Amino acid sequence: MPRLIKHAVRLFLATALVVSAASAIAADTIKIGWLSSLTGALSSAAIAENQGVQLAVDEINKSGGILGRQIELLTRDTAGDPTKAVNFAQQLAFSDKVHFVIGPVNSGEGLAAVPILARAGVPNLVIGAIDELIDPVKYPRAFRVINTNRQWISTANDYAIKVLKKSKVAVIADTSGYGTASSKTAIELLEKAGIKPVYTVLVDNNKTDLTDEMNKARAAGADVVMPWTAATGMLGRLLNARGEIGWNVPVVGHPAIMAAQIRQLLNKPEYWQNAYAAGYLSTTYGSDGKLPERTQQLVDKIRPKLGGGEIDVLFWWVAMGYDTVKIIEHAIKTAGSTDAAALQKVLENTRDYKGVYATYTWTATERNGFPDSNMAVNPANTFKDGSFRLAPR
Amino acid sequence: MLTVIVTGLAIGMLYASIALVYNVMFSTSKVLSVTTGHLSMVGGVFGAYIISVLQMHWLWGLLGAVLAGATFGWLTDVLAIRRVLARSDEHLWLLSTLALATMVQQGVGLWWGTEPKPFPRLITQEFGAGLMDQKFWLPIGMAIVMTIGLEFFYRKTMYGKVFIAMSEDAFAARARGVSTDKIRLLSYVLSGALGGLAGFAAGQLTFAFFALGHTLTLLGFIALAVGGLGSNIGALIGGAALGLLNSFASYYFGGEYQQTIAVGLLMVVLLIKPEGLLGAKNVRPV
Repeated sequence: MPRLIKHAVRLFLATALVVSAASAIAADTIKIGWLSSLTGALSSAAIAENQGVQLAVDEINKSGGILGRQIELLTRDTAGDPTKAVNFAQQLAFSDKVHFVIGPVNSGEGLAAVPILARAGVPNLVIGAIDELIDPVKYPRAFRVINTNRQWISTANDYAIKVLKKSKVAVIADTSGYGTASSKTAIELLEKAGIKPVYTVLVDNNKTDLTDEMNKARAAGADVVMPWTAATGMLGRLLNARGEIGWNVPVVGHPAIMAAQIRQLLNKPEYWQNAYAAGYLSTTYGSDGKLPERTQQLVDKIRPKLGGGEIDVLFWWVAMGYDTVKIIEHAIKTAGSTDAAALQKVLENTRDYKGVYATYTWTATERNGFPDSNMAVNPANTFKDGSFRLAPR
Repeated sequence: MLTVIVTGLAIGMLYASIALVYNVMFSTSKVLSVTTGHLSMVGGVFGAYIISVLQMHWLWGLLGAVLAGATFGWLTDVLAIRRVLARSDEHLWLLSTLALATMVQQGVGLWWGTEPKPFPRLITQEFGAGLMDQKFWLPIGMAIVMTIGLEFFYRKTMYGKVFIAMSEDAFAARARGVSTDKIRLLSYVLSGALGGLAGFAAGQLTFAFFALGHTLTLLGFIALAVGGLGSNIGALIGGAALGLLNSFASYYFGGEYQQTIAVGLLMVVLLIKPEGLLGAKNVRPV
């Protein structure tokens, strides 16, 4: 019997040793949580971002990891559902004890998940555009990589007013939370520039025809129409209505105006002309027909993974996904550890970090890292190989 | 102003078609299935798939939409109705049909994609026809044809009369030798086919979009409740009223009030005339 006990004790000790060694190896990885809505509504953006995230992780791991530690990517598909985003955020922060979280992708999910990550003290790269996701006091470790919604709106407003020289603006937004908030911001920014919109309306994004709204805008004397909605169906109907009533008014607004899906929804391809959307310099061809160098390098690297042919996704999503992992690499390398407070400090002191999607700067009081100067306006129908031409200035 | 009327009427007639589909299912099972709007969504998506992706003639698209709808109707009865009705008098069908509707919607989303896709032109017609555009007149025509067809079916055919018998009193019908299970299955297949047809006819108006189902289920139900449960003419009137009201509300007050006004209409009718405009009062002489 005593021999049996001895044997059992030995076995126990051996097992304990193996388990602790295994957990030591696991602890040695850098864990990145990735809250991605790979299925469900708005999955197209998340799928493209995921390509960039994966590529960056693979590259870094192949070249020896960060500070000699491999990255362990924990991807969680939230399906665009805030409830799932919350559950996964809790799981990543408290059970998996990740060092960084990227996402969630959609603003609605972000509103639910960002506070949880903040409470857990996990550094978080925010990729949702609405203002409420960022607050240096409430969420001190949340840093935004994507531009703000306000930047989209002010870029579009500037283009309509300063470049197209229009002053009679019609604002058409959808009735969703995003549309309502954006239309308010758009009107506020226009009024700051001394322009009072001649017509504003909110429309249900499943409304089957926008002829009335366009006729009203025309009757009100509008010389530019500015739609604020991410619903491609509504934008397709708006452009169709403009074409059918034979009104060649410029349309300037949300990036979804240049989404590839719009092309299919248009009654005639020419209805896409004279439409412009807020976009990014990083995915805009220069006057020489070339992309910025860093973008081109990433395009060349990732093309084989996207099937080898023409790129048919909006490339800025890929670039942003890629940048998020590179920013994490920069933060951990500079801090020399994965200590959350140290990572916060590094990001707060990051100036002009050159990514592919943008050149980022965060400070102790400013958590929006995307600079205004990296915004651009693109003609909607100029999509080619993932990027766009620059709108005439 | 004419645009407001025609666009309102066109979408209203789609609601009316959905209300007719509710009626067919309700007559034999006393169930208001949550899958009703999804039948149309499936019809629109399959129609677009067959014509645009498989590049086949629109008649095949029509046939495919009807078959897809009928299959979905059959599945609804087999998976979400039959056992539930056999085991319980409670309104558990509400949950079982909701579950099935959600599963089908998610499935279509995964396969077809979550962005709306165009529905092809069925009749050669230039764009820019304005109010004469087929996208407005196809759903209007389809709702009227469906109403006339159903009235004919109920009044002139044996099966139609059996449907009415079952809606009057299912137990009595069974006592008279009617196979109520088979008739109910038949009614679900028929309603599926009609739902698919309605979705196909309105495809150019709604686009082929996976998320249409729940909205159509709700608005079709409002049209039905306003017109009166069980009445086909009532469904037509209820649908038209709802579509026009929505369209006028959106025109005069803006889109943010559209849904409120639709549900408001339902409240008003339920308070003043709970049986709907043309619905039969639920009184049985004993």
